[in-house]
Amino acid sequence: MLEKLRQEFLENTTQILIIDNTNRVLETDNSLFYIKKNSDITEFHPFFYVISSLFEEDRKEQKFYCVQIEVKGRTCFYDIRSIVDFDKKQVVLFVEDLTDHYKTVHQIKQVRNESIINFNITQELNHELNVQRGFKNKFLANVSHEIRTPLNSILGFLSVLENTNLDREQLDLVRIVKDSSKNLVSIVDDLLDISKIEAGRLEIKNKRFNFKKFTDSLVKTYELQAEEKRLELISDIGTNLPRFLIGDQLRLNQILINLLENALKFTHKGSVTFRISTSSRNMRRIPVTFEIRDTGIGIPKEHLTTIFESFTQLEKRGLFGGSGLGLSIVKQLTQLMDSDLEVESIENEGSTFRFTISMGVSHDQKEEKKVTTRRVKKSSGPKGKKYRILLGEDIEVNQLLMMRLFADEGSYSLDIAKNGEQLVLFLEKYQYDLILMDLSMPVMDGYDATLRIRNHKDKKIKKIPIIALTARTTEEEREAAKESGMNAYLTKPVNAEILFKTIDRLLHRYKNKKTEESVE
Amino acid sequence: MSVSKKVVLLGHFGVGKSSLLRRFVENTFSESYTVTIGVHIMKKEVHLEKENITLVIWDVEGTDDFTKYRPSYLMGASSFIYVFDASRSVTYSDIKYNLEHLKEKFPHVSVHIIGNKVDLVDSEVLINDLNAQDIQHSYLSSAKTGENVELLFKDVAAQLLENA
Repeated sequence: MLEKLRQEFLENTTQILIIDNTNRVLETDNSLFYIKKNSDITEFHPFFYVISSLFEEDRKEQKFYCVQIEVKGRTCFYDIRSIVDFDKKQVVLFVEDLTDHYKTVHQIKQVRNESIINFNITQELNHELNVQRGFKNKFLANVSHEIRTPLNSILGFLSVLENTNLDREQLDLVRIVKDSSKNLVSIVDDLLDISKIEAGRLEIKNKRFNFKKFTDSLVKTYELQAEEKRLELISDIGTNLPRFLIGDQLRLNQILINLLENALKFTHKGSVTFRISTSSRNMRRIPVTFEIRDTGIGIPKEHLTTIFESFTQLEKRGLFGGSGLGLSIVKQLTQLMDSDLEVESIENEGSTFRFTISMGVSHDQKEEKKVTTRRVKKSSGPKGKKYRILLGEDIEVNQLLMMRLFADEGSYSLDIAKNGEQLVLFLEKYQYDLILMDLSMPVMDGYDATLRIRNHKDKKIKKIPIIALTARTTEEEREAAKESGMNAYLTKPVNAEILFKTIDRLLHRYKNKKTEESVE
Repeated sequence: MSVSKKVVLLGHFGVGKSSLLRRFVENTFSESYTVTIGVHIMKKEVHLEKENITLVIWDVEGTDDFTKYRPSYLMGASSFIYVFDASRSVTYSDIKYNLEHLKEKFPHVSVHIIGNKVDLVDSEVLINDLNAQDIQHSYLSSAKTGENVELLFKDVAAQLLENA
């Protein structure tokens, strides 16, 4: 009865076949597909070539899952179980039709695999982009460094030349060359910054600073520039802004300088308005909105989205020079400060750039005492003696520049070592009061030389003040200099005034046995 | 009647094993990706100078871990063709691990390593990358353009006859 019901109501989903070791079909019930007795089963489907190898296996039973076989133009999925009778040289095949089940599995795997492949492809593209970006950043950093080195000499010697007996015309020419060189320095700085930002190596460092003093100085500087172009600089700095705020003064300065200079550059009549405001009276954090509005040439609507891209300069603005990196840096810096730079502009009417950053309010709103450092008077060495300075520098033109700068200073004498190893030898042989250390030198670089000095057995040598003098401007280099034991860090091009002020300050402290351990 | 040999196409999913097979057997190619589940088998007679040989090619479902292959799929194989996608490094980064498994379980079966989809990449960059990872490939192919597909299977067939 049950068998009758089964035959009447259940579909037979398994076909049984008996095949001999020459692939000949001995018996078949043809439940799933029709195959003639005594025919070669490999002619029905190439799967069945496997039968010959079944006789070579040790195992009597095998199972082949999910075998795709075309039956009357339809793809079927079968699980095939084989049992070998080695004595009779026959194999029994149980072919079970699981097409519906495997079709569901197929759909699931199709979706899963497609999504994994797409993910892989995205990863590959990202990797490729990162490699390209890394190459670009490394290239920019290297090129910038290479440009900066000769530029330092140019600027240094121009300063020296400026102080010689030049007539008015010659002085004007020197100043033009100096201004152009300074522009080149700022372009190189921009290149370095953009490579650092894109490599994710630029960090925002929030510190307490005198916000009022900072904005007053900016206004004063750009009031003068505006006056020169017969423009009006309108400053509107909110009176409710605290005097001391916590933020990244260096980067904020960079953003505002870029925006103010652009506004003045592209405005030929009218005014530039510099507005800073806050809507909050919170005692701990406040949103500070910076707005620079000009009545300049404006930006065509179609260019409003591209002006923030690196190396973008509107054709029309090509006349004004610059690297085309300024706005890109500004945009990225504001983003690093969790803000976004907005721009509104109407061609021939003017532009407004605006961003709001969250700044901390310092608990201490008291003005710090002004610390003055006195320059050591010329020829004021101990008992009329000169201070002996030792310079580690391998590049001849830089050596010449330093010799020229020191020639005008009566209170110092300068010796030069061409690498770190020679510098340490000189220190052991002669007495010096201070070291100026280039970081990249052959044989032994500035870091290793400093480590040698700081670990020297002679206490006098060990404690000698060291000033790093380098074209390298990254924060990592500064940190490395600090870790190796240098006391101050000055970047090339050397500003003579800052150099001698730093030397005097360190000499003063050293003589008072207060040698500082940290880089300032 | 020619001798028949079982050849198994192995590799990650989506590397183009089925496309290589269809290009070789039917000379067709489809841009759309259809997952192979289980095993799909096709055969083709290859005519060589001295003899003909029938390649029974098992196109098995792709996986990144060859230890997961069902033993019955690989049973009786005379040759393995290990296919990777030249445009996805993830499909060849683990090649050494998978080859070790094959060498251990099937020490007498030859393995041909094929970088497919070469039409999508810069061959020079790919070769440098493969050399850097010390991956010895037999052919770089493209099921899409047909590049090296016929040559690859003929090489496999010739080697099988030689070893027969």
